[in-house]
Amino acid sequence: MNFIFGRFFRLTVGVWICPFRPFFLLTAAHGALAIAWWVGLLAGVLPLPEVAGGPVVWHAHELLFGFATASIAGFLLTAVPEFTGTPSIPRRRLQLLVAIWLAGRIAFALSGTLGVLPAAAFDLGLLALLLAAVAKPLWQQPSRRHLAFFHTLLALGVVHAGFYVTLHSGGDAMAWLRLTIGLLMILIVVALSRISMRLVNDVLETQGGFAAPYLARPPRRNLAIVAIAAYSLGAFLLPGNAVTGWLALAAAAAVFNLLNDWHVGRALGQRWVLIPYLVYWCMALGYATIGWGLLTDSPLTSAGEHLLLVGALGLSVLIVMAVAGRMHSGWGLDHRRWLPLTAGLLLAAALLRGAAGWPLLAGLFAPLLHTAALLWVLAWGVYLLFSWQTLAGPRPDGGQGCDEPVKPQADA
Amino acid sequence: MKAPAFSELARRNRALDWLAATGNYLWSGWGSLASLFIFLAIWELTAQSLGSLILPTPREAFATLGQLLQDGSARDDILITARRALLGFGLALILGSLLGLLAGISMTASMMARPLVTLLVGMPPIAWLILALLWFGAGDGTPVFTVFIACFPIIFVGAMQGTRTLDGQLKEVARMFQLPLSMKFTDVYLPHIVSYLFPAWITALGTSWKVVVMAELLSTTDGIGAALAVTRSHLDTAASMAWIVALVGSLLAVEYLLLEPIKRRVESWREFASSNP
Repeated sequence: MNFIFGRFFRLTVGVWICPFRPFFLLTAAHGALAIAWWVGLLAGVLPLPEVAGGPVVWHAHELLFGFATASIAGFLLTAVPEFTGTPSIPRRRLQLLVAIWLAGRIAFALSGTLGVLPAAAFDLGLLALLLAAVAKPLWQQPSRRHLAFFHTLLALGVVHAGFYVTLHSGGDAMAWLRLTIGLLMILIVVALSRISMRLVNDVLETQGGFAAPYLARPPRRNLAIVAIAAYSLGAFLLPGNAVTGWLALAAAAAVFNLLNDWHVGRALGQRWVLIPYLVYWCMALGYATIGWGLLTDSPLTSAGEHLLLVGALGLSVLIVMAVAGRMHSGWGLDHRRWLPLTAGLLLAAALLRGAAGWPLLAGLFAPLLHTAALLWVLAWGVYLLFSWQTLAGPRPDGGQGCDEPVKPQADA
Repeated sequence: MKAPAFSELARRNRALDWLAATGNYLWSGWGSLASLFIFLAIWELTAQSLGSLILPTPREAFATLGQLLQDGSARDDILITARRALLGFGLALILGSLLGLLAGISMTASMMARPLVTLLVGMPPIAWLILALLWFGAGDGTPVFTVFIACFPIIFVGAMQGTRTLDGQLKEVARMFQLPLSMKFTDVYLPHIVSYLFPAWITALGTSWKVVVMAELLSTTDGIGAALAVTRSHLDTAASMAWIVALVGSLLAVEYLLLEPIKRRVESWREFASSNP
């Protein structure tokens, strides 16, 4: 047994160089697989093993706590050491985390026969270990500027625990998954504000002649976070109520308000600026759709939620994985054409999936859904194809671990 | 194709800058919209727990307003009220600005004006309304006069302060360089005075809109105020709220779409002055 494991780790030595590598690979692979399976299941081609809570819960849970959590784990385990100047986690611990994530996926798929407890133990254990790994560096940093990551991750853990408790007692677990969407949107706002400050200003700098640097202003960000949190709590406590509808519109307006920072002129056309910009557009449109649906009593919540998840979450996972994955593997930013193409695929998937939920287009539900799913699977396939070498291969620059590209005038 | 002349390019650039600035200004309204939506959520929650007889929900109020606007009855009332408010406000604007400027020029006049202004500001508009009813009866005169008398002291004080606080050194510099009078006025005096006058005008406009409704409620048979009185007597809270929404909404629109952009334009020199010490 040990021999097999030893051989496996020797073969995959490149994958374990830095924490983001295995997790980003799994994010894309699982994102594609879970959707492909879901559509196959809806079309009646593929079977679904008995799962706790039913197939819709499985679909939502796999994308929120399988796909999204893997990307969060990869991002935080790489970004927090970088932000705080602390060493990254040891390889053995990384392998343990990846194994727990995988075990969680399998355990949930078999939750019909195993019960929910094994899946709960693996999934919650992963979040607890993740929290333990990032808590110390975040708290020890004197300014504690990045504590928002800790709080959001802690909230994710609490909500996930609530989900499993409800699922175990046979209650409506979807409400907890909806709450998770809000937390993920908040995490996107928090994470993108950090990443975009550098990306956008780099673009502005290379273009030259810009009047003012781009700043992600905290008051606007905090307003967006408060509005999203208010909507999410409203949807949790008063589902379907008009109060929640107004709060959704408030969240949409607050996210549009964030874009005040982003109207930086010509630089907006660059992929490093445009993709995060589109993330916020999807987020605002998603919340606006939900709000409109709740206030006009039309069933648009699912359409809006899919704009949030396929659009805002999908695009932000893509941009984070494309930037962090390349920077911390020594390759430098990716200027190839696949990245805007993949972003376009995800955007189209989001719009089509959103359109599929509109009552007016009810007749086209299946073709729209299938096309959206196809584009989504294609997008992550393209990502894997063009990032395989980055994520699984050796560093090209002789650097160590998660270091940024080794250059004479490294301006990191 | 002939290359456009330099002046043509500059003009185009200016137009583009203006478009960008306008776009940015309009886009910054999303922040205000977000807090307005949160306010609507709180209103909705309160309405749901009190019942629609006491407080209608925002949607009911909007729907009623939409109906009122659709059947045309609201348009007449709004126009009548707007006419009265703007008439009173316009009179106060002209007289208040002129007299305030004159009072500011002379120290003696300022000293004399101060207690009178205190008296005018201190007198509640409702007291003026009673007097106006006795003088003008139940016509247009009563609300117009009440609006005028409520707005006048605000604008007067603004204009007086603006003139009083003119920078003596700047006047001296202008005199030394022998600036022509028109230039002295537009480049030295006016920007400073306007920075005092403009906020006073905005405050007065808000006041005029509030006072005219109060005056109408008590004195006339048409206009928004009178319509509000009718909805009150019919216990029609939805229509009352609809009118209130119309009032507050029009005030917000005028403030943010008309006055605030003008104010920014007029006060752009301040930003310039503070960024070039």
